[in-house]
Order: sequence, then structure tokens, then C-alpha cells
Amino acid sequence: MIKISSVVKKYDDLKVLDELSFEIKKGSIFGLLGVNGAGKSTILSVLNGLTSIESGEIEVFGLDLKKELTQIKNISSIVPQNLAFYEQLTVKENLDFFKNVQNGTKESYEKALHVNSLEEILNQKASTLSGGQKRRLNIAIGLLNDPQIIYFDEPTVGIDPKSRNEILESIKGYKKLGITVVYTSHYMNEVEMICDEVAIISHGKLIAQETNLQNLEKHFLELTKESHV
Amino acid sequence: MFSAMVKKEFLLVLRDKRALAVLFLMPALFILIISVAMRDVFTQNSVIFEITIVDLEKSKVTKEMINDISKNRSFQVADNANIVITIPQKYSQSKKRLKIEIKDSLKSDEIELFKAKLLKDITNLKLKIIKNRLTEFSDEAGAAIDNISLESDELFELKYNQSEEIPNSTQQSVPSWIVFGMFFMITPISTVFINERKQNTLSRLNSMNVSVFSMVLSKIVPYLFIAQIQAFVMIAVGMFIVPLFDTPALAINGSVLALVFLSFALSLSAVGLASLIAVSSNSTEQASTIGGIMSILLGAIGGVMVPKFIMPDFMQTLANISPMSWGLDGFLDIFLRGGGIAMVLNEALMLMLFGSIALGISMVMLHARIKKGFE
Repeated sequence: MIKISSVVKKYDDLKVLDELSFEIKKGSIFGLLGVNGAGKSTILSVLNGLTSIESGEIEVFGLDLKKELTQIKNISSIVPQNLAFYEQLTVKENLDFFKNVQNGTKESYEKALHVNSLEEILNQKASTLSGGQKRRLNIAIGLLNDPQIIYFDEPTVGIDPKSRNEILESIKGYKKLGITVVYTSHYMNEVEMICDEVAIISHGKLIAQETNLQNLEKHFLELTKESHV
Repeated sequence: MFSAMVKKEFLLVLRDKRALAVLFLMPALFILIISVAMRDVFTQNSVIFEITIVDLEKSKVTKEMINDISKNRSFQVADNANIVITIPQKYSQSKKRLKIEIKDSLKSDEIELFKAKLLKDITNLKLKIIKNRLTEFSDEAGAAIDNISLESDELFELKYNQSEEIPNSTQQSVPSWIVFGMFFMITPISTVFINERKQNTLSRLNSMNVSVFSMVLSKIVPYLFIAQIQAFVMIAVGMFIVPLFDTPALAINGSVLALVFLSFALSLSAVGLASLIAVSSNSTEQASTIGGIMSILLGAIGGVMVPKFIMPDFMQTLANISPMSWGLDGFLDIFLRGGGIAMVLNEALMLMLFGSIALGISMVMLHARIKKGFE
């Protein structure tokens, strides 16, 4: 289980996470829903140790984030919203590099390759890939350390519907492998399609957390109306 | 993990053809252009006066004098030259003076030099006239004149400090542009660092337990390697290309081991400074501007643009604050003064210390900026 308790994160005087608390069950696909600027990416950065918090407690699979960050990083992986690989290198060179940096196994390498259908474009320079192919490479890199938890930060932004559906289908497949998935999005239909449980956050605060996704819809609609106003 | 990071950096560096071209072509061209252009300025015996001699006496003695002047490397006898020396009739038998007319203007120090160079040949002529007169009275007295030499080596013993030796144009320009070329790495290194941030890979690596120490160190290893190749390519240009343009070839009078040692120390200081600029800049444009200005300033102060030996004393003292000056002095010790490791040890240690401190600060700054979440 991932336990987030009363987490506060500030950028200067701006509170981006405000006493945020929720729990994520092991082996589930957990959705974090919110409009832009709600604090979704920040909580993922915090969970990956990329940014520190002012107060609060976080426990990831029994490990204290403050004390056991190295171990937490070893069992988790983040697929950032922005593409994060080397455009000048080929797909294979990127995968080899990120695998070796994390001491990944041959099995995890093969799995990442297969799940994301990258076999055909291995020798292609990353800069020449299509938007969907780049997204798949971005995701594949996140699988190379054989993680127990994967954090997806809006992985479908800016891609065509076909590639989007392929990515969502592959994410559903991770659950079967026993991987816990945390998925952020600002699209209700995406989280409905793949998530077991969803939390809605706004201005760094938890608005609702539900396993019955139909109940969430009214909360989210209110939220989006507010943000438009 | 570290070897994978170094391999990745090598791949990225080798694919940046423009950066490589700048690192190798720019200093090579500078060496060639500056060595050839400054050839005569750095050569101490380079002042050659073109003269026309009009001999109105046409005696055996005056012909010998003309012959002596022709052999003097400071003079080139030609028709219609700027300087006309007229030997009047009965010159050798009277107190008549040579007439020298300089058509165009000459600087006062050039005139003094001309007079000094000519004086030896005229004194020789006068001695021959005296000898001829004395021989009319006594062969023995005439022969005594032959024992008088006007060669400076026989007239006086000159002792001077070897360290003050002045380099020729190639000896000056090769180390200058090796040093400058290495510090020019600031731009490509900054680009690599800033691209890592822009491509979000810095954050991704941080999420993968990759330490800041590994990140910085893996980035500088390829550049340390490239810097060594760069230095030896520039030396090869000085040795083999520059002489094709009628300019002195570079000779390595000192130890090759010292050269490798100094080159490594210099590259460490260059990549250290480059890393520091890279991590403190927010964009490649900012890094290129700061890096460019800093390279030019350090080069100007350190004797790359203007040789230190022609700077006034206070500027020569000021030059010592520039790491480029330490590197330049070290190379001159090796090329010019036959230096070994012991002779360049001070310069090399200062360069390594500078580079290590800069790298240390870069790592601390990068760590702080990552923690602050500068992306």
C-alpha cells in the first residue's frame, strides 16, 4: 500500500499540496484526476523523491519515503508527462542506456520492448519517431527496472486516439503482471476505462476518492465547471 | 552504471558534428593563420632592409664592401630600393662619407637598427683601408689588422636568463590556441548539460538513483578524452602544416610525458569551468554568451591574444590570475625551454586544483538545483 498523510508542498508562498491524504492499494490501477495545476504532477514528483515536502508522511510498500528513498526508487518508476529520453540516440541505444543505468534484466528489457511494440523501430533515431512511437518509448523506459509501482503522468497528452487506446490497453496489462499503477489524467473517460479507484484533487486538496467511478462523475463535472468559471 | 553513462555521453558527443568541427577546426585555423601572419613579428632577425648601392669609386675595396653587405642577412640588395647607399668617388682614400638616402619614412628605432647593422660592414671596410695603408710600410703591421674581429661572439660574452627566451610565431600560437580551444569546450559542454534538463532526462535519471557525482563525471570524461586528441592534433598542425607556409615548424624540445600531463591538467580546468557555467545557466544561449565572454577575457588576460612578453609588467602580473596563462606558460616551458614534468608541475597542479574546485562547486550547485526542482 502507498499511504500519503497530510502532505504539504509549497513553491515559495504557493501551497501546491495542501494537507493531502489518500491511500493506494497494492496491485491496483489508481487514477489521480484533476484539472491542470491541481497538483497531480507534483504528488508524483514527491512520490519519486524528485522534490521534497514541507510536512506530512509518505509510506510506499512499508518503506518510509524520507528514510528509504533509494529503496523506493529501486522498486518504482515514473513515466513523465514530457518525453524524457535522448533524441539523438536510437531507440535501442536509449533502451540499452536506461536498462544499464538501473541494472535492469534482459527479461525486463524484452518485456518493455514487446509490450510497447518497439521491435520494428529499434534502430530508428528517437528524433525521427512519430508522436505515438515516442510516447511508447517513453513508457518502455519506465519498465526497464522491472518496477512494482509505475507512475504515469498524463501519458496520452498530444497523441492520436489509436495510439492513446493502445497505451491505455497496455497499462491495463500491467495490473495482470502485479504492478501497481498510479495514473494521472484530466480526462474522466480515460480513468473510467482503466482505473479501479480514482481520487479527484483540486488546488492540492483531495475532493473525493471512489471505487464506484459513476459517483465521481458529478464531482468532476462540478470541478471542471468551476475551473471554467 | 557509470560505464553506461560514459558510453552514452560519447555517443552524444560524437553525433554532434558541429561541436566537434568547432573544437578541432577553429583552433587549427587560428594556429595556421596566426603563425603565418605573425611570422616576421616574432622572428628577432626578421628585419630586412632592402637597399640599392651606387658605387662611384668602383675599387677593389668598395667591391669587397658591397660583397660583405650582400652577405649580411639584414640587407637585401635590389634596384630602386627605398634605401639608396651611394659610395662617393675616392671614398677609400679620403674622409668622404657614404651618402644614405631613405625615400619613404622609417621609424626612429628602425633607423637606429639600420645604422647598427651597417656599421659593422663599414668598420670592416675601414679596417681594410687601414690594413692596405699599413701594409705599404710593413707586412707585419698590416697582418695585425687581420686579428681584429668584429664578430659579437668574439667581442663579448653574453649571458642571459634562459626563461626570458622569446618564442617564434609557431611556438607562441600553437600553445595559445590549444589553451583557447580547450576552453572553447564551454559551449558544447554547456549544451550537453542543458539539453539533459530540457529533454527531462536529468529528472528521469534522478528518479533512477543516479547520483549527481555520476552525472557530472560521466559528462566530463568524453571531453577530457577529446581535449587530449585536440591538443595533439594542434601540435601536429604546428609541426607539419604550418611549415608548408614558409613558417617555422613547432619543435617539442621538452618531454612528451610532461606534455600529456599538462594537457590533462589543462583539460580538467577547462571542463571544470565549463561544468560550472553549464549548471549555473538556464539556457544554452545564456551559457554560450557567458562562456564566450569568459573565454575571450581569460584569453586576453592570459596571453593568448597578446603574448605576455610584450605586455607591460602590471599586465604580466595580472595575467597570472588566468588559468589560460598557467597552461600557456606550461606549454612554453616544454616547447621552448625543453621542460619536463618537474618544470610544469606548478602550472599543472594549479590547473588541476582550479578544475577540481570548479567541478566540486558544479556538483553542489547541480544537487541544490535538482532539489529545488529547477525543471
